[in-house]
Amino acid sequence: MDCPTCEASVDAYVDGELSARESAAFEQALTACPECRERLATARAIGGLLRDLPVERTTDLLRARLERDLRASVDAPEPRARPAARPWARWSAMAASLIVAVGIGWVGGTFTSREGRDSNEAIASYLRVAMAEAPVEVASSDRHTVKPWFAGRIDYSPPVHDLTAEGFPLVGGRLDVVSGRKVSVLVYRRNQHRIVLSLWPAGAGGNVAPSVTQRDGFALAEWRHAGFDMRAVSDISPNEMSSFATAVNRAVDVER
Amino acid sequence: MSDAPKPDSRTLERFRAVVLPHLDSAYGFARWLTRDPVAAQDLAQESLLRALRYFHAFRGEEARPWLLRIVRNTWTDTRVGKGADALPLEMADERPADTPDPEQSVLAGDRRRHVAAALAVLPEDVREVLVLREIEDLSYKQIASVLDLPIGTVMSRLARAREKMAAQLRGRLGRSEHGLPDL
Repeated sequence: MDCPTCEASVDAYVDGELSARESAAFEQALTACPECRERLATARAIGGLLRDLPVERTTDLLRARLERDLRASVDAPEPRARPAARPWARWSAMAASLIVAVGIGWVGGTFTSREGRDSNEAIASYLRVAMAEAPVEVASSDRHTVKPWFAGRIDYSPPVHDLTAEGFPLVGGRLDVVSGRKVSVLVYRRNQHRIVLSLWPAGAGGNVAPSVTQRDGFALAEWRHAGFDMRAVSDISPNEMSSFATAVNRAVDVER
Repeated sequence: MSDAPKPDSRTLERFRAVVLPHLDSAYGFARWLTRDPVAAQDLAQESLLRALRYFHAFRGEEARPWLLRIVRNTWTDTRVGKGADALPLEMADERPADTPDPEQSVLAGDRRRHVAAALAVLPEDVREVLVLREIEDLSYKQIASVLDLPIGTVMSRLARAREKMAAQLRGRLGRSEHGLPDL
């Protein structure tokens, strides 16, 4: 075997694609070919480094979203021949949300800072919206419908604006509980992604510019503006999240 | 695919058993194609939904290459008209400012970051073939079916991919970390 021949076999050899006879011939040719021995060592080292990379695991959010969409794409109800499948389907739906909850809880265990707990809470709040059959309690893109809905349900009046012109149409509103207190939640949309904005009267004065962080494929933003503490979570990109926070602030400023 | 039958719940059950176990593979491949965790989630989700729609045409071949082929095609389709390389290249930004000191030992985590960055900057045609071979552990025949290429092309791309990867690694890691022979 001459060098061009053995050179052409290095990759196939290291990938286990040669027959036993071809492998034996290649191994014999190697003894006379230092260049191909180096090629072989390189290919093996690269394989070792790549196989050592951490495995990318599916996030709980992706599983939850997928579960929701798979179910929605199925046409007929459960087949009558298998009535036992019904309760199971319902249980598996519950299991899916439990997996998400447990996943979040576990991540929570690795964070001890206040910020960590806050962002877990924010993500949990997002998932309540993302997983829910009815993501909002009042569904409207009209702020004059959404804003009055909060009156009598919470003890403050949150600023509500439709941001369709900025690419974030208002979907509606709902209530959530954050740190034991009832807060207003506005749900917006960016293409097929939902953005969950929680806001409540600020605990301190002054404005704080939005700080956007990324965790587990979520973008989180926290800021203080016009007397409100705001927190937004979504599975959009950090850049889009920044644009969203800017759009919210601008709409609030225009009104004042 | 508008003429495809809408999946019924029995199809979904079979889909769960046959295809869904490969979701991690689909997501992992999507991570390396998109090089972005958010875009990878979208791509994996879209691919799985597409796979369910095509599942009536699944003839009991190997499910993992079948699914990875759909991921690859979905990726190609979503980029049409979107501007192929406008996507963020976040992993590549993790490149160190200075050439690392060959004497200095880097922690395994650090080394992995450099390896990931080296893979992320490779051109797509060689990156995908390397991921399918070394990370997904597919055979040449399976890779050929995922990428819709002749086996000979898979082979020559792999050789080219390893050359490029070796050059990247030599530029990012010291001799003791990459373990490659000297040039």
